[in-house]
Amino acid sequence: MATERAHWPEPVPDRLQRLWLTLLVIAGALPLLPRLDWRIGAFASALFALRLLALRWHGVQPGRWLLVLLTLVGIANCLHVYGSLSGRQGGAALFLTMLALKLLELHARRDLQIAAILLGFLVVVQFLFDQSLGLALYLALVVGAMLTLLADINATTGGGRLRPALTTTTRLALQALPLTLVLFLLFPRLSAPLWDLGLDAEQARTGFSDTMEPGAVSELVVNGELAFRVRFDATPPPPDQRYWRGLVLWQTDGRRWTVGEPPRTGPASLALAAAADRLDYEVVLEPTDRRWLFALDLPVAAEGVVLAPDHLLRASRAVESALRYRVRSVLDARTPAPSAALRDYALRLPAGTITPRMRALVASWRGEGADDQTVVRRALAYFNREAFHYTLLPPPLGPNPVDTFLFETRRGFCEHYASSFATLMRLAGIPSRVVLGYLGSEPNAIGGYHMVWQSDAHAWVEVLLPGRGWVRVDPTAAVDPSRIDNQSASRLLGAGNPVRFELAQDAWLARLARGARQFADSIDAAWQQWVLDFSAEDQLGLLQRLGLGGLGEYGLAVLMVVTFSLTLGAVLLGLVRAPREPDPLVARHARFCRRLARIGLAPHPGEGPQDHGRRVIAARPDLAAPVSRFLALYLPARFGPAPDPRTVARLDALLRGFRPRRRR
Amino acid sequence: MNRPEPRPVPASPVDRCGAVLEAAAAVILGKEHELRLALTCLLARGHLLIEDLPGVGKTTLAHLLARLLGLDYARIQFTSDLLPADVIGVAVYDRASESFRFHPGPVFSQLVLADEINRATPKAQSALLEAMEERQVTVEGETRALPEPFFVIATQNPLHQIGTFPLPESQLDRFLMRIELGYPAAHQEKRLLAGEDRRALVARQAPVLVPAELAALQELVVAVHAAPAVIDYVHDLLAFTRASGRFAYGLSPRAGLGLVRAAKAWALLGGRDYVLPEDVQAVLPACCAHRLVGSGEGAVLDACRVDAEILAHVPVP
Repeated sequence: MATERAHWPEPVPDRLQRLWLTLLVIAGALPLLPRLDWRIGAFASALFALRLLALRWHGVQPGRWLLVLLTLVGIANCLHVYGSLSGRQGGAALFLTMLALKLLELHARRDLQIAAILLGFLVVVQFLFDQSLGLALYLALVVGAMLTLLADINATTGGGRLRPALTTTTRLALQALPLTLVLFLLFPRLSAPLWDLGLDAEQARTGFSDTMEPGAVSELVVNGELAFRVRFDATPPPPDQRYWRGLVLWQTDGRRWTVGEPPRTGPASLALAAAADRLDYEVVLEPTDRRWLFALDLPVAAEGVVLAPDHLLRASRAVESALRYRVRSVLDARTPAPSAALRDYALRLPAGTITPRMRALVASWRGEGADDQTVVRRALAYFNREAFHYTLLPPPLGPNPVDTFLFETRRGFCEHYASSFATLMRLAGIPSRVVLGYLGSEPNAIGGYHMVWQSDAHAWVEVLLPGRGWVRVDPTAAVDPSRIDNQSASRLLGAGNPVRFELAQDAWLARLARGARQFADSIDAAWQQWVLDFSAEDQLGLLQRLGLGGLGEYGLAVLMVVTFSLTLGAVLLGLVRAPREPDPLVARHARFCRRLARIGLAPHPGEGPQDHGRRVIAARPDLAAPVSRFLALYLPARFGPAPDPRTVARLDALLRGFRPRRRR
Repeated sequence: MNRPEPRPVPASPVDRCGAVLEAAAAVILGKEHELRLALTCLLARGHLLIEDLPGVGKTTLAHLLARLLGLDYARIQFTSDLLPADVIGVAVYDRASESFRFHPGPVFSQLVLADEINRATPKAQSALLEAMEERQVTVEGETRALPEPFFVIATQNPLHQIGTFPLPESQLDRFLMRIELGYPAAHQEKRLLAGEDRRALVARQAPVLVPAELAALQELVVAVHAAPAVIDYVHDLLAFTRASGRFAYGLSPRAGLGLVRAAKAWALLGGRDYVLPEDVQAVLPACCAHRLVGSGEGAVLDACRVDAEILAHVPVP
C-alpha cells in the first residue's frame, strides 16, 4: 500500500481550489448563521478566518494536536449552547462546526471531495429552517458552484479551467433534472410535516398570542412578514370592511385580556338573522404554530377547517406549514341574542381597576336614560373629540392602564383603544368583548390575490346591542381614520418605528416599491402553491388525472419506479449513444442493417460492411441487386477519397424501396 | 511445352499484380491467400517472415516471387557459424588497384531469402535485421545503399528449437507480416504430386513486372486513401490490444503503421484506391499475430486466434 502511494501520489490540491472551497463553504454557511446562536457562528467564523489566513501564510496552519483541541472546543461549544448534539439546532450547529474544522485539513484531493460533499449536506440542513424561494435559489447557486469545483478537482487532465468544469456540471444537472422531477412529483409524501419526525420546533413564530396586553401587538405591527393571502372568488369588499377575525377575548383583569372561559350553552349560534351578500374566498395562511385561523367578519361556512363558536375558525391542529382553506362570509350578518349566562360573562368587570372618573365618564354618557346605541355613539365621539393620539410608541402605563390611558397619556394604538373601550362599555352595562385579527388587505395585481401582512394586525371591540346581536365597533378608527385609510405608507418603509417620513401614495418611488413587493410576493405565492404545498393529495390528484387513481397509494410507488427506470434508461442510452457522430452515411447504413436484421441477416460482430453484403447475397441471391447497389454507393462514399455529396439522397431513394421479407 | 506461353499482358501495373498472383497460384497450389499476403507485404515495402515446417514451399515461394517480379534473388542459409560478413559482404585487398575492394554479400540483392534465420547467432541475425530496417549497410566506414526494391523473406522453423536462437519479440516487430504456409489441401497436394517439378516450373516463369513498375506500385500503395473512419478503426484495434487485458502487451505504433500500410496494399490488390475495414481485417492476423503475446502465455499468438481475440470485439465502422 505504502509503495503504491509512493508510485502514484495523490495530487495535492492547489491553493486556488482550497480557496474556492473555503469561500463556497462560507457562502453556504452564511444563511445558517443568523438561525443559530451567535456563539456557534462566532466559532465557525473564527475557523473560517484561520483557514483563509493559513492559505496566505502556511505557518498559521494548526497542527494535529491543535486541531484535536479545536474539535473538542467546538463540540463543547455546541453542547454548552444547545445542551445536545442532536435536534434541529444542535445538529446543525455541530455540523457547521465540524465542516469548518474539516476546512483546516485539506491536505489531499480526497479531503477536498469530502468537504465539498459535506457542504452539500450543509445546504440540505438549511431547508429544515427555511424553505423560501430566495434561499432555495441562493443555495442552488452555491451547489452549482460546488459541483463545478468538484468537477475541476476530479478533472483527470489539468484542471483549473472553468469551461470544461462548467460543461460537466451543466451536463450533470441536465441529466439529473428529469430524475429530480420524477422524484418531486411521485415520491410518496409524508402527510405529516418533517417537524413531527422528532425535530424540535422551539422557535415559535411571531404571531398572535391568545392574550392582549397593551404593548404586545406593537411587536406585530413592526413585523414585516406576510400573515396570509386571500383570493376572492368575486369582487373583494371595500377596504374598511376587511376585518379579519381571529380570536375573541372575553375576560380582563384590568391589565390584560384573555379568552377566558365563556359559558357555552347549546350549539354555536350559526343561525343568521339576515344574510346580505355572500363572499366566497380562499385563504392561504402562513405557518403560525397555532390553531386559530382568520376569516372576514363574519364567516358562516368553511371547507377543511372547523367553524367554532363565536364564528371563529379553527384548524384541526396547529398550523405548522402553510394551510389553505375556503370560507364563506357575510358582511352584514346579524347574530341572534346569546344566552343570559354569556351576556353576564360579557359584562364582568375587573375588580379594583375601576376608578371614580371612569364611572363619572360612563355616567355622563348614560345620562338622560340614553339607550345602548347612543352610549356607543357618545363613547366614540369622546375618543374622537378628546386629544387621543394614535402612536406605535405609547408611553408606559401604570398599574391601572385603562385609567391612565383614558385620562392621562391618551396615546396608544388599537389595543389601548379596544381595551379601554370594552371596559367602558361593560361599565355602562353593555356586554362587550375584544376581537383580535387583521384589518385591511393589499391587492396584488400581478398574482390576482390580496396580501395581509403581520403589520395589519388589529384589535377591535364587539358590543351586544339589543335586537342587533354582536356589533363591531372600532374605537381606533374613531380616533384616527388614517389608520384605516392610509394603510400602506408606514408599512412600505419597512414598518419603521417611528415613521420617519411619509411618501405620497402616488409618488413614483412608492408605486415602484409597491409593485416590486407585489411581484416578489406573487412569485413567493407560486412557490408556495406549486412546490412547498405539493402534498400527498396533490399527488393522488395527479394520479387520477393520469387515469391511475384506482391504484391508490401503490400506484404512486409503481409509477415512480417505472418512470424512474425509464428516465434513467433514457439518460443512460443518451450517454451510450452520445459519442457517436451524426454521420448521415452511417445512419443510412444502420438503417440498411436494421432492415436486413428483420430477416435474420444482421451483421455479425466484427464483420465489415462488404463481407456482410457478400454474406447476405450468398444467403439471399434475390437481394443481390439492391444490396450490391447499396454497397457500391455506400462504400466509396464512406471510405473513398472524394465522397459524392449526392450519395445520401441516392441511398435514401434506395432504402425506400428496400424492405426485404423472409422467404415463406 | 518447354517454352512459356506468352501471357496476355494487362494494361496497368495494378492489373498485372493479378497476373502475378495467377501465375504464382499455378506453381504453389492452394495457397492463394498466402501468396496474396506475400505480395501485399512486398508492395507495402515490408519484410515477410514465413514460419513453417521444412518442405512446404517456403523457398519456392521466395524464388517464384523473385522470378515473377523480375527481381534478382539471393539466398542465405543461416547456420550457427554464420558471420555478419557472410551476410553483408567483405572488403578484400585487391593487388591490382592496391586497395580494398568491397565484395557485396548476398544482402545486396533485391529479394533475399534468409532461410532458417533462427539457426544463426544473434550477431548474424542482427546484421540482417539492421539492413532490413535501415535499407543500407555500413562497411569499413562506408555506407552503401541496398538495392531498391529490397525485400527479405525470412523463414523460421518452429520445431527443433534446441540450439537455435529464436527471434525475440522486438526483432519480430521488424517483419511486417508473418505467415504460415501449412500443408496443401488433399486434392491440391495430389495435383502437386502428379505435376511437374516445381524448381523447373519456377525457372520457366517469365517476369510479369519490371522493377520500375514494382516501385511505381509501391508509390501507389502510399497514395491509397484511408478514411478517418478506417484510421479510427485501426486505432480502436490497437487500443483494444492494449486495454483488453487479453495480451501481455499491446500493439506498438509501428505495428499500427504497418497495419495501415498493409491494408492499403491489400486494397490496391483488390483494385480499390481506398481502404475498407475488410482490408484491415484481412491483413490483421498476418501483421499482428507475431507481435502479440497472449496474457499468461509465453509465446506469440497463432494467426487464427487473432480473429477471435480481436476482430469480434471491436466494432466495425
